[in-house]
Amino acid sequence: MTERSLRIATGALALVGAGIAGYLTLARFSGVTLACTTGGCETVQSSAYAELLGVPVALLGLGGYAAILATALVAGELARLAGAVLALAGVAFGAYLLLVQVAVIGALCQWCLASDAVMALLAVAAVGRLAPESVAALVSRLARPTAGQAASR
Amino acid sequence: MPQARTIPGRDAGRSRLTRARLALVVVLAAALTLALVAASLLGARDDGGGGGGGATGAAVFGATEVEQLLAGIPQEGGVLGDPQAPVTLVEYADLQCPFCADWAARTFPELVEDYVRAGTLRIELRGLAFIGPESERALRTALAAGEQGRFWHVVELLYMNQGAENGGWVDDELLAAIGRSVPGLDGEAMLSAADSERVGAAMAEAAAQAEAAGVRGTPSFELGPTGGDLRPLQVTLLAPGEFRAAVDALLGR
Repeated sequence: MTERSLRIATGALALVGAGIAGYLTLARFSGVTLACTTGGCETVQSSAYAELLGVPVALLGLGGYAAILATALVAGELARLAGAVLALAGVAFGAYLLLVQVAVIGALCQWCLASDAVMALLAVAAVGRLAPESVAALVSRLARPTAGQAASR
Repeated sequence: MPQARTIPGRDAGRSRLTRARLALVVVLAAALTLALVAASLLGARDDGGGGGGGATGAAVFGATEVEQLLAGIPQEGGVLGDPQAPVTLVEYADLQCPFCADWAARTFPELVEDYVRAGTLRIELRGLAFIGPESERALRTALAAGEQGRFWHVVELLYMNQGAENGGWVDDELLAAIGRSVPGLDGEAMLSAADSERVGAAMAEAAAQAEAAGVRGTPSFELGPTGGDLRPLQVTLLAPGEFRAAVDALLGR
């Protein structure tokens, strides 16, 4: 697992996340109904928690994914640190919003859940970029027992 | 061989550096998260306080169903559906009338799904306010939402949250909750437009039309070709089948 492959993973996941957040942002501004199987998307999107200081949370998420994408396009140490900070904060804020959906609003938004999943994977990739040799060691340690078994037979 | 001695030292230094960087990242991410959560909680509290009456900021009952039913269907004032639809159904209703709410729950959704959405029927609501002051307040709010193309959203949400006649159910809290639960509706603008002369004139017009049509109770219906001669529609059960049969006959089905 090289820094390069983690960078590619970060960029690809950030694009997927930006797609989800972009769809939610578009729906909010155009008034289009969300495709939603849980039936709770509009309830969540029209709640007081869907905005942060007047800015729709969906737009904030879009900005976050765009910023993480930018950190994946740059190779420097500062970009790696910024990407990891943004992705970890994204996961933590997503967890808070999930709690709000369950405990306060009483409705779940599947698009928010999809975004949470993407952000969690993104955090793994972005933090991994800080220590690619540790990720590589972990991957090879996980791979070694099977290789050892195959060799012993 | 000398290299073998230097590499472990360099590795240890690098892993210390990695740990320090990870710690920095975690601290910064935690600070950013705290700021976001604080802003979110503050915003939600302000929103609830602004709604008055201890409103929590939660959506009103039925908001999701109503949005799903009406999304994407054109609204012009009290008219729902394609202006070119061949058949027009006019309903005279009081928003406090329980039979009107019953019709709205049982029959209206079916007509919307099968006719209005297909562009074959437009439904016009002419609101009356004879039951009492709460009828007028509810109707004024709905007519004000009509200026933003959300008349039917507010009508349906009022029916779904209907209480006892003049029992105090049309209160600040319910109207504020409706105002913030309808996507694309500016709740504050709706509430401030409710007392306008435009809304008063629209109410007077509907009352005059009801008078001319000889309406004696609600809900009452008229049906006919759009732009043509509307005739009173006599229904006994307010059930979907009666309306479907009458509309189908006009459509030549």
